[in-house]
Amino acid sequence: MNSLLIGCTGRSRLPARAWLATLTALLALACAPSLAAQELADRWGPNAPASANGGRVDSLFWLITTMISVSFLIVLVMLIVPVLRDRARPGHKAHYDEGSSLHDKRFTAIVSVIVFLVLDASVLVMTMKDLREVVWNIPNVEKGAYQVEVLAQQWAWNFRVTGEDGKFGTPDDIVTINTLTLPMDRPAVFNVTSKDVIHSFFVPDMRVKRDANPGAINQVWFKPVVAGSYDILCAELCGYAHYQMHGTVNVLPAEAFKAWEKEAGALALTAYDSNDPEALWAWEWKE
Amino acid sequence: MSGDHIHAEPTGFLRKHVFSVDHKVIARQFMWFGLVWLLVGGIMAMMIRWQLAHPGSPVPLIGKLLYPRGDGSVPPDGYNTLFTMHGTIMIFLGLTPLLIGAFGNFCIPLMIGARDMIFPLLNMLSFWTVVLGGLVGFYSLFVPLGAAEGGWTAYPTLSSTIGTPGSGETLWAIAVFLIGASSIMGGINYITTIVRLRAPGMTWSKLPLTIWGMFFTAILNVLFLPVIGSAMILMVLDRSFGTSFYVPATLNQSGGGDPILYQHLFWIFGHPEVYILILPAWGIISDLLSFFARKPAFAYKVTVGAMGAVTVLSAVVYGHHMFTTGMTAMLGESFMLLTMIISVPGEILFFNWLHTLWRGNLRFTTPMLFSMGVIFVFGLGGLTGIYLATISTDIYLHDTYFVVGHFHLTMAASSLFGAFAATYFWFPKMFGKMMSEKLGKLHFWATIIPLTIVFCTMFISGYAGMPRRYYNHTDVDYLRSLQHLNVITSVAAFFLGGAQLIFAFNFIKSRWWGSKASVNPWEVGTLEWTIPSPPPHHNYDTIPTVVTGPHEYSHPALKDRDWISQSEQLPT
Repeated sequence: MNSLLIGCTGRSRLPARAWLATLTALLALACAPSLAAQELADRWGPNAPASANGGRVDSLFWLITTMISVSFLIVLVMLIVPVLRDRARPGHKAHYDEGSSLHDKRFTAIVSVIVFLVLDASVLVMTMKDLREVVWNIPNVEKGAYQVEVLAQQWAWNFRVTGEDGKFGTPDDIVTINTLTLPMDRPAVFNVTSKDVIHSFFVPDMRVKRDANPGAINQVWFKPVVAGSYDILCAELCGYAHYQMHGTVNVLPAEAFKAWEKEAGALALTAYDSNDPEALWAWEWKE
Repeated sequence: MSGDHIHAEPTGFLRKHVFSVDHKVIARQFMWFGLVWLLVGGIMAMMIRWQLAHPGSPVPLIGKLLYPRGDGSVPPDGYNTLFTMHGTIMIFLGLTPLLIGAFGNFCIPLMIGARDMIFPLLNMLSFWTVVLGGLVGFYSLFVPLGAAEGGWTAYPTLSSTIGTPGSGETLWAIAVFLIGASSIMGGINYITTIVRLRAPGMTWSKLPLTIWGMFFTAILNVLFLPVIGSAMILMVLDRSFGTSFYVPATLNQSGGGDPILYQHLFWIFGHPEVYILILPAWGIISDLLSFFARKPAFAYKVTVGAMGAVTVLSAVVYGHHMFTTGMTAMLGESFMLLTMIISVPGEILFFNWLHTLWRGNLRFTTPMLFSMGVIFVFGLGGLTGIYLATISTDIYLHDTYFVVGHFHLTMAASSLFGAFAATYFWFPKMFGKMMSEKLGKLHFWATIIPLTIVFCTMFISGYAGMPRRYYNHTDVDYLRSLQHLNVITSVAAFFLGGAQLIFAFNFIKSRWWGSKASVNPWEVGTLEWTIPSPPPHHNYDTIPTVVTGPHEYSHPALKDRDWISQSEQLPT
């Protein structure tokens, strides 16, 4: 408090050591909320990402958290100092300052530039990198993508994969409801749409989400790198049983996946009925 | 400039108290209207929080009354109706009438030195249109086949007959249309009044910041409410007349429309709506911080410029609500960049407010506490917006509780705190009575502490991946482990709701049994504090001439007091 008082009147100068101590204290204070948030997240946060690029979302999240913690701390200090120091009392007078001097304008300009560079530009650069390399950069079949068609409906997820022939719309297409099996370490690309209302395909452990819009196809992808099963949720309000519209992704290692594909494909062939219009919803893939 | 258009004082009861064209009466009508709806919307919030903390268990006290067919617990469709109507009511029928309707109407003519709004009849029509909208909206709860269940955003095709067959959704759309029409009438009136009826000498640079905030809000109202109006007309046509503007052709339905069209229309309006609610609060607290710090508002012109910049930017950032909808990379990145730019004028406003307090002579009255509360809650809400402007983090956080926490802190809590600050501040002028300061301060602390807990725990559960608009989170394993967070949020929410009873008690008690207010109880200099409390029908016997800025506190030339009225000349 004292150092701030002296700092603002500008009458006396602090020795270098005091400056250093003040700076360290401020830094420690700035880190505290960020550390506390980290602690909270460890206890209540999401599971560790199970996709190759999910970690990028988390690291960007923590970068932003650190920066806004520092910003909010500055706001709090500037709010609390006058509260403690400048309360109305007999004989005390406010300092008349319209804030229109050249000095004030310069201060505003400098702070604006700093805020934009530190808070916005750094996040922008990082997210642009993620967007270009991951989000918009949807792999195709040549790059080994595993294709999945997702047809959402009130209130279930229909999944269609090609089976061993690698082609959609053939009798060995594997169609499942609410359960999806994916190969590990291979990018999975989803073509997402809906039969009725808007749904949203949300796999929290992979850090992805994409709306399933009726009448249009949306693409999204992730590359599962940890075997296991993960929840699929609907993230867009879709009516009465919105909260019950969940499914499971089972990620299997390559060998186990091959075995599953063979077995499920064979099963699909035996159950195939060319007269069932409900079973024929596969669509053309655009690359 | 003004004075010749005014109406004679009415004598009949109806013309005086019900169908009045007097801006002060209309302001009080808007105020009561907004407060009653805030109560209704607040009770709905309590029921939502009850359901989330104790899924499927009977709502205490009112459960049996509201859901007589079951055991008194909220059913899933009832829950969808609750959050749909909670959002709609709070935004359109609670905050808008209170913050813009009541204080816009009350403050604009008084603070610019006019005798009334420039179009008094349009003003009355604006109020009765919102009343009609409120009635239609309320009636929509009781129609066969169900009330509105599509969320306050009402995305088709869930809000089309495919998703909600009940006529409640149609009535909901009509209600929003009517409320929008009311806001447009108000906006036209505010803009014209501020441009045409300022007292002599009330130049743009002497205008109180409250009026600047109302002015920018009115501009946004006039520009963007028509957009939601047209979106609602198309929705009603789709629902009742068999068109398919929003209904696409899919596997099990015919049509040729596009549900995404609605999302664009909705957010072209919806994002400015956030600023429609926050700009008056910003204007009000910019004034109040200066009034009670007994210091000029720091960098007045920069504050006005920053609010203007936000007004302009608010129109071009709406796409950040649609990052998961599916848009081209270039469009998404443009919206992200534009959204981030808002942080610059936002930061300038914060530094101006904090600088206004710095080395002031702070009087911690209730309006001052709530104004400082806006800095705190808007700080929390505004900064967490960065996660949601950034596409890659937004994709994960979109439609989770993180978003719920963020927009409640920004557009709900900040505007509500602005409205509370304004209520405590102008109550003496509106009703001629003082509100209890002791109860006011108690109300402030009993509000801000649980409020912070409610919305900050939402950030945690949102980051953990808890989707919003879920009737019951205990169905999914990882969400079940977060259930105790939901309980904490709900308990804090009940404290928050209970604290508002202090306000209700204080308001009603002060209104009828409060001590009489003097002409200028706060010792401030804007024009309304030069006339009796409450002001006479014509406001000003002679229109004042303005010679001084609105924030000349503690001017070195002032000797025996630290304030000066805008109609007084500073001593030389």
